[in-house]
Amino acid sequence: MSIMSYNGAAIIAMVGKDCVAIAADRRFGVQAQTVSMDFQKIFQMGDRLFLGLPGLATDVQTVSNRMKFRLNLYELREARQVKPKTFLSMVSNLLYERRFGPYFVEPVVAGLDPKTFEPFIASCDLIGCPMIPEDFVVSGTCSEQMYGMCESLWEPNLEPDDLFETISQALLNAADRDAVSGWGAVVHVIEKDKVTTRTLKGRMD
Amino acid sequence: MAAEHFGFSGELWGNGPSPGGFYSTPGGTTTPQHGPTKHTLHPMTMGTSVLGVKFDGGVVVAADMLGSYGSLARYRNISRVMKVNNTTVLAGAGDYADYQFLKEVLDQKIIDDELLGDGHSFSPKAIFSWLTRVMYNRRTRFNPLWNQVVIGGFNNGEPFLGYVDKIGVAYEAPTIATGMGAYMAQPLLRDALEKKPNMSQSEALELLERCLKVLFYRDARSFNKFEFAIVTAAGVEILQPRSAEANWSIAHLIKGYE
Amino acid sequence: MGKKTLWKPESDFFLQQILQNISVEGGNMAQPGVQMQGPEPYGAHGPRQQYFSPYSWNGGTVLAIAGEDYAVLACDARLSEYFSILSRDSPKRYKLTDMTVLGCCGFHGDVLTLTKMLDARLKNYKHEHNKTMSCKSIAAMLSTVLYYRRFFPYYTYNILAGLDEEGKGCVYSFDPIGSYEREVYRAGGSASALLQPLLDNQIGMKNMQGVQRLPVPKEKAVALVKDVFISAAERDIYTGDQIIINVITKDGIQEESFPLRRD
Repeated sequence: MSIMSYNGAAIIAMVGKDCVAIAADRRFGVQAQTVSMDFQKIFQMGDRLFLGLPGLATDVQTVSNRMKFRLNLYELREARQVKPKTFLSMVSNLLYERRFGPYFVEPVVAGLDPKTFEPFIASCDLIGCPMIPEDFVVSGTCSEQMYGMCESLWEPNLEPDDLFETISQALLNAADRDAVSGWGAVVHVIEKDKVTTRTLKGRMD
Repeated sequence: MAAEHFGFSGELWGNGPSPGGFYSTPGGTTTPQHGPTKHTLHPMTMGTSVLGVKFDGGVVVAADMLGSYGSLARYRNISRVMKVNNTTVLAGAGDYADYQFLKEVLDQKIIDDELLGDGHSFSPKAIFSWLTRVMYNRRTRFNPLWNQVVIGGFNNGEPFLGYVDKIGVAYEAPTIATGMGAYMAQPLLRDALEKKPNMSQSEALELLERCLKVLFYRDARSFNKFEFAIVTAAGVEILQPRSAEANWSIAHLIKGYE
Repeated sequence: MGKKTLWKPESDFFLQQILQNISVEGGNMAQPGVQMQGPEPYGAHGPRQQYFSPYSWNGGTVLAIAGEDYAVLACDARLSEYFSILSRDSPKRYKLTDMTVLGCCGFHGDVLTLTKMLDARLKNYKHEHNKTMSCKSIAAMLSTVLYYRRFFPYYTYNILAGLDEEGKGCVYSFDPIGSYEREVYRAGGSASALLQPLLDNQIGMKNMQGVQRLPVPKEKAVALVKDVFISAAERDIYTGDQIIINVITKDGIQEESFPLRRD
């Protein structure tokens, strides 16, 4: 079994009209055994900036802490908020530093630009190769299922409420066809003047 | 002793040729066999790509005449296309011995069929179907015929072009190219057919000749001497071997592989 | 990791299970003996050392939905091997009787053999019993046919669609070694992981609140099938070129096709 699917995870980020959403499942398991159902995989990195980390749980926590540390240094030095695109470069840089002994995470970045409020989503592979698409990104153990869902459900210019429904349905239905992810979900919808966080109850089995 | 630290094991060229040594038959003995399986064949003399295309009123298949023995261009005048009967031709890539075996069996089958004297003969589809069964059954017994076979035919006013390989994967298509040809000739064939869906016989021949020339330029196991087999309503014709005019004048401009 | 990569025998979990069970003349076929021909190290001399794999993966996706008085079976028409497209016109549906269609994909050599054998057995049944076999019975037969080769399986994914004895739509799905189940909807083959959760959602009404499960009308099923195949062709390189949709009703089998992306 691949180390990437040792703990299990499913994360999606989507672009809507002047908003973005990021969603993750909440399972923490060790192979087939579920250990807890409130595991944090999405980390707030700024007012309108979130980082999703699917992969090996120990690396999820290490990378989130190290990214928070580097982000604090950045904001201290620059005295301004980081742009999502810059943040993606920092993630990519952190991962590539471990090119030959990687962190087993494939991060997802979602946020709005601090000045222009332009929506931004991106994903990386585990050694930091970035991808910035215009519609959605998926990452985790059920990426095929998530691609199938997103490719059919997503449409351009979704309003925040519709975006929430779309990303939730995409995540829940994809995770239900994956044995190592699911057990509830958390969804953040990021708008210019507010961030709405909802936790979802899926099929808890 | 120091040499061992640099990976020198005593052999002059591990896994390489032995200068001054006897010529040893390659294949099978240089690396140890794994496991108890003894059925699997090691292909020896190999033929490279075969091509086929349908045209208005017939089909043409083609192959070059080289029998490669590893990287050695060992036989330079072997025929890899055959007439099966008056409506069917066949071209084979892969192990040449297996091809010859298949040819013998097929030829005898046609003789047996003609001896019945019932006025019927095998249609291209029937030959094709039979071949899929032979290839599949051989693979199932772990004793495959190591070939990709292209079958061309013309029957009841319909051209036929089919492919069978050593594990029994089979399909029909308007253009077929095997081996390296699948990467280099197939795009050219499909492009030509898309631009002109009803090619004439001479256009089809010209197209295949161009493809074979492209393969000769870039496929190291190919050769500039080809045979064509054509099937039309008039019957089967196997053309005399021919060569394409190659132009190597720009070859010296390609740098970086010295 | 977790991403879709080129199919290789050694990376295919199911195939590895299969190959571990194949025995040749009493001895187990050793694992290293089954490898695809790959690039040889530079300087290796003589004819290339080639290893024989009795299987290949030729892709293809099938999908079936059972309605109240109809069944829909859809498949794509692409036949692939590694990164080559062998054919753009090779539908994976096989008409078995006037009421039953089989969707069959995976290793094309086994697909051809299996469908030929089923045709022969159905013909034989008709001659012996003077009636065509019911969908239910074909499903039971297919299961035994697949299980007969338990230790050297047909590497095929099968979905059977037709009408049952009451005229209701029925879908049976199989694994390659014959375990089977009657279902309302099922996707199989190379894009099955992309399609199945969507069917759960749109037909099974999974993760929806305050909706009642109404039978899906035929037109909606056909429209959905087109949508999901377009999505699958977007992300799965082994799905594309065309979809062929068969709608089975008491009046017979209607077929339509629809173009998909060809790249």
